[in-house]
Amino acid sequence: MLYIEHLTKTFGEKKAVDDLSLHIAPGEIYGFIGHNGAGKTTTLKSVVGIQQFDSGRITIGGHSIQDDPTACKKMLAYIPDNPDLYEFMTGIQYLNFIADIFGVEESARQERIRKYADLFELTTDLAQPVAAYSHGMKQKLAIISAWLHEPKLILMDEPFVGLDPKAAHILKGMMREVCDAGGAIFFSTHVLEVAEKLCDKVAIIKGGKLIRSGTMEEVKGDDSLEEVFLELEGESC
Amino acid sequence: MLKTLVKKQLMEIFRSYFYNAKTNKKRSTAGIIAYILLFAALMIGLIGGMFTGLSVSLCAPLTQAGMGWLYFALMSLLAIFLGAFGSVFNTYSGLYFAKDNDLLLSLPIPVRTLMASRLLTVYLMGLMYSAVVILPAVIVYWVTVSAAPMALLSGVLLTALISIFVLTLSCALGWVVAKVSRKLKHKSFITVIVSLAGLAIYYFFVFKAQTAIEQLVANAAVYGEKIKGAAHPLYVFGLTGTGDVTAMLLSAAVILALFALTWTLLSRSFLQITTASGASGKAVYREKAVKRRSIDGALFGKELARFTASPNYMLNSGLGILLLPISGILLLWKGGTVVSLLNEVFTSQSGCAEVLLCTGVCAIASMNDMATPSVSLEGKSLWLAQSLPVKPWQVLRAKLKVQLALTALPALVPLVCMTFILPVTAALPLVFAEALAYIAFSACLGLTLGVARANLTWTSELMPIKQSLAVTIALFGGWLYAIVFAGLYLWQGWKLGAAAYLAVAAAVTLAVTALLLRWLKTKGAQRFAML
Repeated sequence: MLYIEHLTKTFGEKKAVDDLSLHIAPGEIYGFIGHNGAGKTTTLKSVVGIQQFDSGRITIGGHSIQDDPTACKKMLAYIPDNPDLYEFMTGIQYLNFIADIFGVEESARQERIRKYADLFELTTDLAQPVAAYSHGMKQKLAIISAWLHEPKLILMDEPFVGLDPKAAHILKGMMREVCDAGGAIFFSTHVLEVAEKLCDKVAIIKGGKLIRSGTMEEVKGDDSLEEVFLELEGESC
Repeated sequence: MLKTLVKKQLMEIFRSYFYNAKTNKKRSTAGIIAYILLFAALMIGLIGGMFTGLSVSLCAPLTQAGMGWLYFALMSLLAIFLGAFGSVFNTYSGLYFAKDNDLLLSLPIPVRTLMASRLLTVYLMGLMYSAVVILPAVIVYWVTVSAAPMALLSGVLLTALISIFVLTLSCALGWVVAKVSRKLKHKSFITVIVSLAGLAIYYFFVFKAQTAIEQLVANAAVYGEKIKGAAHPLYVFGLTGTGDVTAMLLSAAVILALFALTWTLLSRSFLQITTASGASGKAVYREKAVKRRSIDGALFGKELARFTASPNYMLNSGLGILLLPISGILLLWKGGTVVSLLNEVFTSQSGCAEVLLCTGVCAIASMNDMATPSVSLEGKSLWLAQSLPVKPWQVLRAKLKVQLALTALPALVPLVCMTFILPVTAALPLVFAEALAYIAFSACLGLTLGVARANLTWTSELMPIKQSLAVTIALFGGWLYAIVFAGLYLWQGWKLGAAAYLAVAAAVTLAVTALLLRWLKTKGAQRFAML
């Protein structure tokens, strides 16, 4: 589904991502962990095509993000770490806008909006302008919009930040559903317990370099993910 | 603390002059000087020059008639009018709706200090607009009448007092708008309607001003006596400029007292208004049937929604939508007289009516520049346009289409009205061609500037809408085009005949538009994708 090969991105003198390679297969929930400034967001943005990179290759479903970004973007959905949505629209206008862009049929979009808005208890607020939403509500709206066109690959940057425990639980269930249906999810998080319980595979990045990746068992063995992460952080120092 | 906040405000206002918005790097010294000179040339050269001319025509006759006070009273009124008009829209959004209000209010900053720093921006805008009127008036007085120390002092004092009075007026009006708008449901449109009513009054006075001033000068003694009796404060204020010590002290005391009163009013309600969530009822969603739109339709709708959601955006970038149909109605009403007058004045330049009326349509159409700030207005939500499965050019094209639709359709009103007042000649369809070519050019130029000079890090939407160099160039560039277009015709172009001249102008304009369009589709789209 997603191939990242030798991705390198520098900002001035600093290498934000250094020769990073990853493969995410259909059906996988892939966690991406690392400390602040490790290069997680830069990697995710490069995959989505909103960040140019210096070298390497990224392909989604066989399409290169550099050569055919529109084909790639049709297959994916992205939720950034801060959901800065169109504040001049109401929630429902925003969802319809996204559905229009992805060409979602009227009946399908209404059914999905009803389903997910009810799940996140956002239905009555859909007539409100996004500007009036709290951070958590914006995050829920961003999640609904991401699920609206049934993407094959979902990329999320810290998706649980701002969500209440119930919404976080619902999101985890939705993530598993996507993967059970043959989709893939690649997300960054600082919540190692969530990553440990939810992810099929995990990658640890530090200073732009991938320091370990693989199935959860391969990465952590008999230890907890937190212990492994802290140990790797220490080793790298 | 105030110093720090003022520094932050000034950095925000003048940042685009010193830093490249795209690279976030400091500009070269030459670049900074060029930007400042360009701005100064526009403000001092164009607007200041206009009021210098007016001052020269008024100063000598009035002061020789012993009515220097009337000269200053008139020029002060104009300065206050322009200053308040120029800065009042800033007050409402700059004071109460700055994006960093929450951040600053959460810091241990006294509310009055925060207000003072915010008002500095309003003051500077008011000072800038009022100074381009009153400074030429004062300088002309110094040159024509007296440059004695008292005259110098009174001139400086008058300028300062006017700027404080403009600030007071702007604050009071901004406060009223903020109070009223809290309880309104359709704030954007009501704000626009109220503002447009203000604009109508403004233009009414502008149109009447020339005749009124001429009458006033011709009958200065009679009107002077009437003003002394009926509007004594105006008389006293006018005397301030002539160096009358009593008037200087009295005017200063009254204006400072008024400002103190407004400041008290504002400081008592600032926190309440700024932190209010609005008293209007909460809309509840009810599922309705939706109609699927094409990608281009959805992008167009998004741009249109952005435009109609912001009174600032509509007022500053879409005035032509209203003025174009109004100009059409005026043409039907007075067009015949205008055409006869133009033909009389420019007897040797046949066909000048077609060209000059077309110039008028172009000049009014240039007041629509919604495409220019549209890129910057993406702000922090730019990731959406960039991450959706649409080509960058599709996003830019939607921005372009909104300006074209909102300008070309209203422009058809005056153009169609022209067909009723102009003779049916070969030039008539070419008036349509040239005006529509200009509208396309103007939209492409505006968007090119918007892409080339995008600023996504603003804290108040007024910055990209009103205070950016791109918008200034787009607006004045349009007027410059109109001046050159008409000037060339009156100078030599008339020899070609109106039809041929219009055809050549339309062809040249379309050629330049094609080049701009090509840049937008290629490099512009690339640049947008990499913002």
